[in-house]
Amino acid sequence: MAAPALVSGPAAGNPATVVRARGFGKRYRGRNAVEGLDLEIHAGELFGLIGPDGAGKSSLIKSIAGVLRFEAGSLEVFGVPLLSDDACERIKDRIGFMPQGLGQNLYPELTVEENIDFFARLRLVPHSALAQRKAELLAITRLAPFTGRAMKHLSGGMKQKLGLVCTLIHEPRLVILDEPTTGVDPVSRRDFWLILGRLLRERNISALVSTAYMDEASSFHRVGLMFGGRLLAAGQPGEIRALAQGALVSVEAGAEVGQQAAALAQLRARFAQVDALGSAIRVFVDQGDDIQAADMVRQALPALPPQAVAAVEPELEDIFVALLRQRGLARPAQDRTSPPPARRQDADAPAIEAHELTRDFGAFRAADRVSFNVRGGQVFGLLGANGAGKSTVIKMLTGILQPSAGSGRVAGADMRSAGFAIKERIGYMSQAFSLYLDLTVEENVRLYGGIYGLDRAAIRSRLQWISEVAELKGYERERAARLPMGLRQRLALGCALVHQPRVLFLDEPTSGVDPIGRRAFWDMLFHLSRFDGVAILVTTHYMSEAEHCDRLALMYAGRVVAEDSPSGMKNALERDCGMLLEINAPEPQAALLALQRNGFAAAALFGNRIRIQSRQAEADSARLPELLRQAGQPGVTVVRRAPSMEDVFVQRVTALEAAELNARKTAR
Amino acid sequence: MNITRINAVAYKEWREIVRDRLFFTLAFVVPAALTLLFGYGLSLDVEHIPLAIIDYDHSALSREYAHRFSDSRYFDLKGYAASEREAGALLTAGTVRAVLLIPEHFGQRLQSGRAAEVQTLIDGTFPFRAQTAKGYVTAINAAFSLGVLADYLAQARGLSPADAQRALQTLRVEVRYLYNQSVKSVWSIAPKLLMAIMMMSPPFLTALGIVREKESGSIFNIYASTVSRGEFLIGKLLPYLAISSLNVLVLWALACFLFGAPFKGDPLFFFAAAVLYVGCTTGIGLLVSAAVRTQVAAMMGTMILTVVPAVLYSGILIPIPSLSAAASVIAHLLPGMYFADIVTGSFLKGVGLAELWPQVLALATYAAALYVAGYLLFRKRTAS
Repeated sequence: MAAPALVSGPAAGNPATVVRARGFGKRYRGRNAVEGLDLEIHAGELFGLIGPDGAGKSSLIKSIAGVLRFEAGSLEVFGVPLLSDDACERIKDRIGFMPQGLGQNLYPELTVEENIDFFARLRLVPHSALAQRKAELLAITRLAPFTGRAMKHLSGGMKQKLGLVCTLIHEPRLVILDEPTTGVDPVSRRDFWLILGRLLRERNISALVSTAYMDEASSFHRVGLMFGGRLLAAGQPGEIRALAQGALVSVEAGAEVGQQAAALAQLRARFAQVDALGSAIRVFVDQGDDIQAADMVRQALPALPPQAVAAVEPELEDIFVALLRQRGLARPAQDRTSPPPARRQDADAPAIEAHELTRDFGAFRAADRVSFNVRGGQVFGLLGANGAGKSTVIKMLTGILQPSAGSGRVAGADMRSAGFAIKERIGYMSQAFSLYLDLTVEENVRLYGGIYGLDRAAIRSRLQWISEVAELKGYERERAARLPMGLRQRLALGCALVHQPRVLFLDEPTSGVDPIGRRAFWDMLFHLSRFDGVAILVTTHYMSEAEHCDRLALMYAGRVVAEDSPSGMKNALERDCGMLLEINAPEPQAALLALQRNGFAAAALFGNRIRIQSRQAEADSARLPELLRQAGQPGVTVVRRAPSMEDVFVQRVTALEAAELNARKTAR
Repeated sequence: MNITRINAVAYKEWREIVRDRLFFTLAFVVPAALTLLFGYGLSLDVEHIPLAIIDYDHSALSREYAHRFSDSRYFDLKGYAASEREAGALLTAGTVRAVLLIPEHFGQRLQSGRAAEVQTLIDGTFPFRAQTAKGYVTAINAAFSLGVLADYLAQARGLSPADAQRALQTLRVEVRYLYNQSVKSVWSIAPKLLMAIMMMSPPFLTALGIVREKESGSIFNIYASTVSRGEFLIGKLLPYLAISSLNVLVLWALACFLFGAPFKGDPLFFFAAAVLYVGCTTGIGLLVSAAVRTQVAAMMGTMILTVVPAVLYSGILIPIPSLSAAASVIAHLLPGMYFADIVTGSFLKGVGLAELWPQVLALATYAAALYVAGYLLFRKRTAS
């Protein structure tokens, strides 16, 4: 139990190997899910396997856990070659495995405590040790007040933490977690990574964890990037960033819509990886360093002032796409449609006006005086955790739900009186993509065309348009079920657009789609908003989607608590809470303790790096290396990092939760 | 084998069954409810056949003839019809299932010693019922003509009516029904229902219980842990075996006390054999669960494997010797038939192990084969 607080991380010394894969391959009915994979996981390491759905993460993870047979190559876990079922049994006493699916491996009818007890008895945890372990784990995960609650009544984040407790109750040497954070809101996700990191550190447990969220890479010591059944790269998050040659450049082409579109077309003519991100354009330049790359972009856009172009730090997703492209594994978005000659005249007219929208369900207020405006041609994001009221607002705006108070106009129609008229002017795409999977691409489009009362000629021309814009050419007679997720998503979007709506509602539209597909999807949305003047309202708790929006409204407990552009929200965060500093120390845990002892109580460890928020960033950046050297931790570097949308979300929601808790305490 | 692990699995399973409303109903309510529904609904006795009579004769004798039918418990006289057309309408509407047509001069002809003809129209849509109805008509008719003949003989020869009867009936059949003296079909059906329902309920529960874990992913807790295949299967199946054994008691009580079936055999032998039988059918559920991945597929598979055989191939409706050669082979491959013999033997005949050991041996072999197959098919590492 009492593992030493300071454990040699993977950076120190010569670590033992816990998992070794050589030429690993897994086939399902003749189709390769994973092939030719080499991988090593070291003792004490938190290894993250990152990749989109269908990359082969689960197959690898299950095979390592000894619950899946495989065909090619070899796997060794704790030095035991996994050659047979019997061999696999020999490693299972030292392994804890949590399968995919939020809380799916737990027993809904059993209470929190009964779930834990079941796992403990199954693993023959002695009675004496159980009580103490249970108390510790429940305290760290803050589940102690809920031991008597049936698992089915827990929130997503709590289920996930209970799953972790059950996986750790027999003190395994290696925990294997298959997408533990999928479907959980950002606050709970960050909480989960901090708890996991702490538990693994304190108990010197190695971990193999998979995730589909690229932005979680910084939570790991080392990561492996997977795509299409292959391991693209493995290493520390920083090393991976260095793998793709080149640099990322951000361009502010101007406030006018035409300017951005023109710049986009010019850049796409010269560079392979160009994406619109809100009002900015991101260009990945394959040669040169930051300065050279920025210069090359400036040369391509001579009309722009030089300060509109600047090199920025690439996200892992940018690197991922660049790696795929540079290795010829995927083709990024092309400039597929030429802009129409003239923009629609009503493009800038207000398309969605929510005014003090309120909805009560009994005593519960699901939406509380929600107000915002979306212009034609604007992409507006509604952010919030599950239950924040996003769906209620969408339902009121689409005419499905009557508001208790307040009003709203969509595409010029008052939604209280014009429920049906609204439906003709809006398109709606849900998380589940609402396609008929047994119908072909063409049949799906025809069906939606028929539902909206289009005639044959109109349907034919829309079909043409959809297969062009959604890049579905050649797939027309393919059944929707057989399409890759990215294509399926674009088909669903096409179906939602079949009647040429003026307003488009997207409800968490990109779950399960790989980065390449996601970029193609957002490219399509960009064209819709900029050239066709469609107003787009997106609800999401995927922060990578939020970055694409022109404006964002953050919802909490039914209220809009902040409304701004993405960069405005980030600036506000830095203004209110200070700059984000990332500290790279040779011995991160010792440095963390030293920092916490020296007045940085909120310092936290993400993978190998320590993060703090500082109101005097300049001064702190200068004095921290010296402070840590005096504390016996030399060789420390400090860099300023721009906050991500996820940082904004987590910070804001956590602050609101704390305020609510305080208010409740004082009321008592 | 580790008792703690078996216990852990069994205890968890038990609590899930008791707390999950669907499983609780499936385990404790459905078997008894099925017994009640089938017990009251599935009577093979054909009685109270609705009958209409067309009497063109209107004589004392024709009325007496009609009385023979309306007085019997086999027919329910719904009334007299004026014409064949009217009677035809009643048959078409389903108000009556049989029509008796008594022609003109019926009484006159009989009294003068000549033969008379009576026409009977029987609804043939349900052959079994039609055949039985025809049998009743024939029997009542034979008894009536015997009486008429005896009267005629007595008058002509000056004999007493009883002597005349004896003289006419030189060969009489004396039937004594063994085991089920009043030939009540419920006596035979209620015990066999126990067999049929215990053929269906345990595999449903077991297959759903295991496949539910596959579907949700909680089966990975088992795959990834140190619990052995045997420990898991024992722990998993024990609660279902216990519940099914309890249900045997409930269904036995219903058969005896609600439906009044006699139980003449040795209770200890019967319950031991019943536990062996539910062991067999639980094993069927185990096999189904090895073959499928979703609860819907488990339901379908179990239904095909158990419901049809329980009803058709177990002797509950059709006696096994009356089945076609192919059907008889199928019947011999399923456990229901063997247990049906044990049920009938224990309830109605009062026989025990001495007579029924071949059936017990068949069930034991069956159970052993199912569990060995189930054990071998359950792997802690899956192929996909």
